[in-house]
Amino acid sequence: MIEHLPILIILGPLLGAVFASLTSWYRPKLSFPVVIFGLAISSLSAILIVFKLAFSELDVIHYQLGGWGTPEKDEYGIVGIQISVDYLNGLILATVSTIGLLTAVFSTRSVERELTGQQRYFFSLFSLLVSGLLGISITGDIFNLYVFMEIAALSSYALIAYGKGRSYMASFNYLMMGTMGACLYLLGVGFVFVKTGTLNIENLSQIIPQTLQNSQAVFVGFVLIMIGAWAKMAFFPLHGWLPNAYSYAPTASGALLAPLATKVSVYAMLRIMITVYSIDYVLKSPSIQSTVLLLSTISILVGSFFSITQSNLRKIACYFIISEIGYMVGGAWLANEPGLKGAIYHVVADAAMTSAFFMIIGCIVYRTGQTELKKLDGLFYKMPLTFVALIITMAALIGVPPTCGFFSKFYLIQGAVQAGTWHFVIALLISSLIKAIILFRIIEIGYNKVPNPAKEGNKTITREEAPLSMLIPTLIVTLSLILIGLFTDKLVTNFIAKALPEIPSL
Amino acid sequence: MEEFIDKFNYVLVVILMMTGLWSMLAQNNLIKKCIGMAIFQTGIILFFISIGAKNNALIPILTETANHTYNDPNVNEVTNPLTQILMLTAIVVGVATLGVGLALAQKVHQQNDSFDEDEILNNQTK
Repeated sequence: MIEHLPILIILGPLLGAVFASLTSWYRPKLSFPVVIFGLAISSLSAILIVFKLAFSELDVIHYQLGGWGTPEKDEYGIVGIQISVDYLNGLILATVSTIGLLTAVFSTRSVERELTGQQRYFFSLFSLLVSGLLGISITGDIFNLYVFMEIAALSSYALIAYGKGRSYMASFNYLMMGTMGACLYLLGVGFVFVKTGTLNIENLSQIIPQTLQNSQAVFVGFVLIMIGAWAKMAFFPLHGWLPNAYSYAPTASGALLAPLATKVSVYAMLRIMITVYSIDYVLKSPSIQSTVLLLSTISILVGSFFSITQSNLRKIACYFIISEIGYMVGGAWLANEPGLKGAIYHVVADAAMTSAFFMIIGCIVYRTGQTELKKLDGLFYKMPLTFVALIITMAALIGVPPTCGFFSKFYLIQGAVQAGTWHFVIALLISSLIKAIILFRIIEIGYNKVPNPAKEGNKTITREEAPLSMLIPTLIVTLSLILIGLFTDKLVTNFIAKALPEIPSL
Repeated sequence: MEEFIDKFNYVLVVILMMTGLWSMLAQNNLIKKCIGMAIFQTGIILFFISIGAKNNALIPILTETANHTYNDPNVNEVTNPLTQILMLTAIVVGVATLGVGLALAQKVHQQNDSFDEDEILNNQTK
């Protein structure tokens, strides 16, 4: 059983999706427990495999699908699909599957209200999306990565379109952008395949850095794959689809998509950069490197400035994602040790922060029905726990010390200073400042404006938190923000430092 | 010129992809965007099939001899099966994407009575 753990991570939610839609013909209520069961298996196997990795001498755990990697069946190891877990994607897998499970628990009540009668379809798509995201993270084959990317993308188009109203058009725009990105990625894979004759990431990592350093075709493939990944993660010039898509989606879809979909694309980019092409290769084209760094600076600034002009909490959260994507892409393209550490750490930290933010928004929507900032007056007195969670999340986004946001920003700034990229440092600080302004606006509205109960004919302010099945996952994720921050040292030395490739010293 | 004729399928790939991309980005009509998307994907499929093709090559099927052993085919005489199999998957993905895209376009049309992007945006911001 233990040796089959890697495949169980994907199979849990995938079979969960299939059985949830099958059993729903017989008994619609069954779909939810089936999906939870699948996600729980996946989350458990991911955590087990991370511990197995941490306490063994192994650097990477391989799993050959269909036994194709064995010498007698497949001499060169290029036919079969390999999945592998190493220090880099072990963390991502644990994060994605755990947040997927918590979000599934969280979304029951809000789906019940927003999508009455359609829960079974929602939960099958939900499970399919998680399996797509886990597949992207675990696969060791660049074409297989494309397939999982499209599985995740197709289910997310449908999940967004459940929002009714303007969500159809938002989802359509996302579909156009997402398909364009995936097609460019596929084209890049084609260029790489022409020169190397293999799709296996491990084989590629031996072939490309050693023998194909100067090949034009491989370089074009690199650029195409990067553009494809950027379109999927809403990096600056390609970010137009994100705010509408995530803010018009049902709150439960938003809570799953916003933290995970973009972060997993960042992981795909990191994997291609670090493993397939090596950091050497990235450093060899300094003009592209400086352009990407400039774009990530612009991305951070655009995200921050647009977020302050918004009056809706969900839109603010969506523009935050765009600025956070700038952090991660910039950190990765700094291509030095602290920068890459910061980028990998921030993938995990930002998944937790965005997840907490969108869950809190879900709680607020469940009780008050809207997320306009000015209508949230006296939120502290109505939903104290949710409001405190919101403050902690905002503090993490700003980068207040005990939370995880501080440490990722610390590494990123350290990396940027080391690389001498001052515009990136300034953008990081400005973005923190703007987030602080928004935090004070929230405090001003939610805490300082005490609501007048007499207006509604009550003697005291009615205090009503969201139901427990929503509140508990929200609080767990919020607490994890502080826990990740406190255990930063362990996380970095045991996982992230080992995930880093050899970085050439300049 | 001769090189151009030799690689004429790659020229066709570029033309198809650019047509598709232009249609996806510049057209206002949602259905035309979907058509552009399909053309773009077709271009990529043609690209992959072209890189697996060889002159005068046969289909990659092993021939059985006596005792149930298989003849190892001469790799110069068969096309590369891997690219074709990859494109089978890509075609399936493409059909699914097109289906979802058209379904969304239909939903948008039900709401706004129009496929024109500008008109829809006007409707929604009203």
